[in-house]
Amino acid sequence: MSETGLPQSLLEISAVGKNFGGVAAVSELSMVVQTGSVAGLMGPNGAGKTTLVNLISGLLPSDSGTIRLADVEIQRSPSHVIAELGIARTYQNVRLFSGMTVLEQVMAGCYVRRGTSLWASFLGLPKARAARKAVESHALELLDRVQLANRAHLLAETLSYGEQRRVEIARALGTSPRLLLLDEPTAGMNAQESNEIGKLVHSLRDGGLTVLIVEHNVQLVKDFCDHVTVMNFGRFLADGTPAECIAHPDVQAAYFGKTTDAERIRTLR
Amino acid sequence: MDLFFEQLINGVALGSLYALFGLGFGIVFATLGILNAAQGTYASWAAIVALAAAEHYKLPFIPALLTGVVAAGVIALLVDQVAFQPLRRRGKDMLGALITSIACWIILDSLAGTATGHNSLSFPRGTYPSTMYHLGTIPLPVMQIITIAAMVAVTVGLHVLIRHTRFGAAMRAVGWDQTAASLGGVNPRYVVIITAFIAGSTSGLAGVLGGITTHNVSFMLGEGLMLKGFAAVVVGGYDDVRGTALAGVALGVLEVMTSQYLSSGLRDGITYALLLGFLLLRPRGLFGSLTYSRA
Amino acid sequence: MQGLWDFWAAYRSTLAFAIVNSFLALSTYAVLSAGILSFATVTYAAFGGFLGARMVLATGIDPMLTLPAAALAGAVLSYLVALIFLRLESHWMALASLALILITRVIVINIPVVTGGVNGMSVPLPVSLELLAVLIALAALVFWRLSVSWYGIAAQSVREDTAVASSLGIAPRKIQTIAFVISGAVGGLGGMLLAGALQFISPDTYFVNIAFTMIAGVVLGGSYHWTGVIIGAAVFTALPVIAQAIIPEFQDVANGIVLLLIMIFLPRGLVDPRAIRLRNKFQLPVAQAIKDTSSTKLDI
Repeated sequence: MSETGLPQSLLEISAVGKNFGGVAAVSELSMVVQTGSVAGLMGPNGAGKTTLVNLISGLLPSDSGTIRLADVEIQRSPSHVIAELGIARTYQNVRLFSGMTVLEQVMAGCYVRRGTSLWASFLGLPKARAARKAVESHALELLDRVQLANRAHLLAETLSYGEQRRVEIARALGTSPRLLLLDEPTAGMNAQESNEIGKLVHSLRDGGLTVLIVEHNVQLVKDFCDHVTVMNFGRFLADGTPAECIAHPDVQAAYFGKTTDAERIRTLR
Repeated sequence: MDLFFEQLINGVALGSLYALFGLGFGIVFATLGILNAAQGTYASWAAIVALAAAEHYKLPFIPALLTGVVAAGVIALLVDQVAFQPLRRRGKDMLGALITSIACWIILDSLAGTATGHNSLSFPRGTYPSTMYHLGTIPLPVMQIITIAAMVAVTVGLHVLIRHTRFGAAMRAVGWDQTAASLGGVNPRYVVIITAFIAGSTSGLAGVLGGITTHNVSFMLGEGLMLKGFAAVVVGGYDDVRGTALAGVALGVLEVMTSQYLSSGLRDGITYALLLGFLLLRPRGLFGSLTYSRA
Repeated sequence: MQGLWDFWAAYRSTLAFAIVNSFLALSTYAVLSAGILSFATVTYAAFGGFLGARMVLATGIDPMLTLPAAALAGAVLSYLVALIFLRLESHWMALASLALILITRVIVINIPVVTGGVNGMSVPLPVSLELLAVLIALAALVFWRLSVSWYGIAAQSVREDTAVASSLGIAPRKIQTIAFVISGAVGGLGGMLLAGALQFISPDTYFVNIAFTMIAGVVLGGSYHWTGVIIGAAVFTALPVIAQAIIPEFQDVANGIVLLLIMIFLPRGLVDPRAIRLRNKFQLPVAQAIKDTSSTKLDI
């Protein structure tokens, strides 16, 4: 525990495992995310990164091990409970609600912090209406942070891909999370857009949010992550600063193959 | 004791009708992924067409039967292409196909009512074999033998087709994922059409045989078979024809025995209680397979 | 004037049935709008209808008092159904609700003391058009409030993408249970109104037939807004009556054909908020673009 009374490590994952049929998507995975840091999660395709994110956010229950959010065990909690505890996420393939405007998406995200009961909202009581107005202006503020305030009343599905990703982030922020999980937020973006996302993440961190990013974009990870964990075949491979991980021989072998493999292939000819 | 065996055979014959119908319904459900509300009308129409063939065109038993069966297959094919095919391009959605099948059910049921003048018609004597055999002292109408034999033959034939032929593999592939199947060299449109025809004619066969033996050729024939066939599919296992057949026969026996020894008012009750029980506790039925899906 | 009056007299009952069917459709919509396909409305209706009718006949109390009782009975039943059914996967749940209707009929046949058994029972409940109008207006108010409140946002999220909704802290089970209770109350009330409109109910009144036509009406009208649902029910009720004047003997076929066409060409139904929005929202950037280009002087 630090002096401010906040836990040093917000998220503690300990020997977590998940099987699908005979396939071990994640096994014996342990990692720690420090409070107020930007953590990166890397690994080749199929390494189990998204599965791990699904386990943390509660989309899937873990088969073994523990996941702790500030000393509360969550590895078998349903995802809506985990969301109430303060974990929010985005998805590899943007999953916005169809038929809803941009503002409505973010309002949906603000459900947990709506400040009024469903009954009061249904009856249209004055206190409920005031609370609703407050939430709406908060939602617009969130849209402002991702530079989409002027798109608030458009159907979200008519926006460009990059804008949709930002709406998804704003929606996740609506839950006022302590930990934000971003699953490949810059996929399909160019260098400039990716950089904007990175700067947004940093500004969120400066505001007290802890962020865990799953990324393939090495430049982004180098520029914006404080700490990186690398997975391969569902297992822990390496961790450390971005520079340490990228230079790590096992990490390089996982992504590019070993030089000994090249030798062996040459001899096969 | 004789009564028991007689009712047992009655139950098996009745159950064979349920099984036959269920086989058709189950193929559409398991292979095409559609809860087809119109399936019952295929049975009703098969009976109506067969009756018309026998009565007006004086066709003998087998040709009349075949005419009805083929007619049902053609109707099923048309329903599939008109009501389900336009929806396939839009992606998987059970509700959409269910609604269009309801639309077809409304249309076909209503037309069937008009065709029979809103009466329940019967096959005239002489249009079907009515020899009475005997098993000891137990009467055994030849139609019951024919019904049971047809059920066994169709079950075996479908099982071999689905599990042991390339076309069957194609059917199962299309049922799982049409795009993936086409990438594997299967022509999904062709498979779907043939599958729809087979499913329709199987239920149609149940309709003709049922119309003859229950003396009830009307739109209600199809509706009655539909509910029991549906139960047979669920209880037996929606993707295993042997399970459906077994369950159908078992349900028929249970029904007849309940009616005989308990109360006729509870007749349907036991079938539907089993249906609900399985859906709540073991939806895949006795022999159905579990499916895995990636989160 | 007399012609108009005759017209009104002839179509009064159609209007009455359109309103009654709207209740059943709204009951189905209540759960559909939270992502659940369930035919159990028919069971709630049977419960409300038989119970209400029997209460009036047995105790002679004012029929008006039995209306809320029917709604309450439906709500209690639907809560119990929710407890059991919400554990199931969506397609199995739909089938289970179908099985529930089948069993309900068997039960109805076998308790003649309450339901009159196979023969049914006559229902001397006067249900005036005025009463129906007031009730449907009340129902519309309720559904309007639901759609604009936090429940509405939550239900829409659960329907569109349950997993994502859950990750936003919306508890699907809780929202869907509320949906079930609303469905039960509206369905129970609708069942009793149906009994009053028909003046006679039997085991076949609340069966697979109305289950199918009910869901069809909902989807036809538009399953994404409560106004569409009422319109769909009205269309489905009125269409055969209109068709009877043109193609008697085939009036039911008209419903089937219209349903088929709508499902193929307007799959989200007649009233689709998303389509309405798409038409309007696209104007904003285009209108802006036009304004932007018109302010620059182009030399063509």
